[in-house]
Amino acid sequence: MAGLSIKNINKRFGETEVLKGVSLDIADGEFVSLVGPSGCGKSTLLRIIAGLEEQTSGDVQIGGASVAGQRAADRNLSMVFQSYALYPHLSVGENIAVPLRMRRMNTLQRLPLLGGVMPGKTRRAEEIAKEVTHAAEILEIAHLLDRKPGQLSGGQRQRVALGRALVRDPAAFLLDEPLSNLDAKLRVQTRAEIAQLHRQLKATFVYVTHDQVEAMTMSDRIAVMMGGRILQCAAPETVYDDPDRIEVAEFIGSPKINLLPVELSETGQVHLLGEPLSLTTGRRTKAVGSLGLRPEALFLTDSNAPLRGQIVHTENLGSELFVQVEVNGLGSRITFRTTPDKRASLAQGATVGLDFDADKALIFDAIGARVRDTHSTTTSKTEVA
Amino acid sequence: MSLADGVPHEAVVEKTVSHNVKERRAAWILTGPALILMVVILLAPILVASLLSFTNYSLGNSGFDWVGFRNYEKLFTRSTYAKMFVATLTYVVTVVPISVGLGLGAALLINSLGRFREVYKTIYFLPVMATLLAMAIAWEFMLHPSIGMINRTLEMGCGTFLERIWSFMANGCAGHFPVWLGDKRYAIWVISFIGIWQGFGFNMVLYLAGLTGVHRELYHAAEMDGARSAWERFRLVTWPALGPTTVFVVTISCIRAFQVFDTIEAFWPQGGGPNKSTYVMMFAIFEKGVQQNLIGIGSAITMVFLAFVMFLTLIQRWLVERKVHY
Repeated sequence: MAGLSIKNINKRFGETEVLKGVSLDIADGEFVSLVGPSGCGKSTLLRIIAGLEEQTSGDVQIGGASVAGQRAADRNLSMVFQSYALYPHLSVGENIAVPLRMRRMNTLQRLPLLGGVMPGKTRRAEEIAKEVTHAAEILEIAHLLDRKPGQLSGGQRQRVALGRALVRDPAAFLLDEPLSNLDAKLRVQTRAEIAQLHRQLKATFVYVTHDQVEAMTMSDRIAVMMGGRILQCAAPETVYDDPDRIEVAEFIGSPKINLLPVELSETGQVHLLGEPLSLTTGRRTKAVGSLGLRPEALFLTDSNAPLRGQIVHTENLGSELFVQVEVNGLGSRITFRTTPDKRASLAQGATVGLDFDADKALIFDAIGARVRDTHSTTTSKTEVA
Repeated sequence: MSLADGVPHEAVVEKTVSHNVKERRAAWILTGPALILMVVILLAPILVASLLSFTNYSLGNSGFDWVGFRNYEKLFTRSTYAKMFVATLTYVVTVVPISVGLGLGAALLINSLGRFREVYKTIYFLPVMATLLAMAIAWEFMLHPSIGMINRTLEMGCGTFLERIWSFMANGCAGHFPVWLGDKRYAIWVISFIGIWQGFGFNMVLYLAGLTGVHRELYHAAEMDGARSAWERFRLVTWPALGPTTVFVVTISCIRAFQVFDTIEAFWPQGGGPNKSTYVMMFAIFEKGVQQNLIGIGSAITMVFLAFVMFLTLIQRWLVERKVHY
């Protein structure tokens, strides 16, 4: 086990710059997710760490030592691929044994027929078989060891791929969207199992996904990547509650965060649709910006509602109800969360008033950077005016 | 639908029965033409040939006698036919492994190229496209003992160091270089060489197609698993993935090798090379059945030929189903 350190990695494919100065430190035993939309460079970054791709500039360190010029086979990393990449002609047991055979047996001992009579082969083979069985027991696939990958379901194949990764003791595990070929139910189950595996092995995990839910539920830290850069790398709660940039706020969270255009005045007062809100920022210049409100930050209110509009759509998820409201004077929809027992009063077309929790309001400036230091003012509108 | 509509139960049963009969009839009518064609074009000739192999029939004769297994007895006792089997098997055993190996090697090399792939592919495929009969004439000129390009080139080596290190060269310079097509020691190998030259491009194209089906991520997985050398990656990923292609390529090459005929007919139209050393089965069938009008013995060779090919096909089926399908 070892920590990883990525220092100022750049990657170009011809004219296109895929990674633009990415730096990231991953502690020993940490679970870090690289999350972002497709094409953001997250898989390329993982492949550079693995050594399957070479960076244009920058350095990768494993356990404090640079691996520049070292090929993937020598970096002692394990990788789980999106397609699982199991060898179709080998049984499950043989698949899991491949990394051990490749590292512990020499070319002669691996020969199909001659290998059997080479000295030391039997002892090594027994050792390997023991470790394969152990790995298979951890993943509960011991009963599948004699089958071929073609005879397994997607979930079982995924476990075999995990087994092949954990059978030796690598410096770190690299996982490239390992759950994206599974159905929704299995994905939720396997998610928990991978997190459990991480706790059990106490190993370093780097997990690439485009699914923010996977990233949120499994990781110690999330690195949100967009356009070849890491926009923010922090604990899941921090990324959700305290995003640095508007892109991060938009990407993390489902349903998506509501963004409303606001104006910031010289006094720091925030105005929405020309009306002052009970919210000020530390910034004392006149500017336009966005107000970000998560669906759970909004609540229904009757009087003095800063936002009014008609209900256009409701989604009942059983435990919670998401309501889309077409806001008057704004021409766009916002979504808020409520409990399903309010459903009766929330008919389509009904006019509702909405207020929000000022502590949970996120203000972003015109270029999308977070404007911090916001304060809620309990004073009423008339006094401020 | 039935009882509610007031239709009696029996009527419904009758209706479904007649419906079934109609469906079956339609099925026979639709498959009939294909079945008839298959029997008339493919199965009947084989059946006729197998019957004729037990007779002494000649084309033009009004009748024939049943001779039992006498034709087959001749096949397995006379020295001419022993030479036929030796020549055929020598050719097959030489040409198949080498042309498959070269095909695979060329395909792997071409597949690793970034540029000029198409150029190489076309060049290697040229001999496959060319008519072997026409090519045979070109080869005949090149192999001519005195004015042929090959012996002329070899003569250029006389007087150099090659004479000292290569006894073949020394002997050639002292006396004369081989009469390639007229020497029973060389004839079958020359034919084999031309067979390989002509056939490996075809195998290469099949292997290139097979290589496109190898999953790229498997190479990355192999690298992560510690497969450092190209040979290890080949053993772990490429070769197993090419299993179905290999079975097909080997079978096709075998059948093509058994069928070798045009080079031999072009070089030695009078009968199977020096001392019958290149008297292959296809040529024997042609000579007996067509040139000498001995339909009975010709049919018998055909049946043995068919048995060989059938045997190969069955092995292929077995391998495909049992070993190389994952």
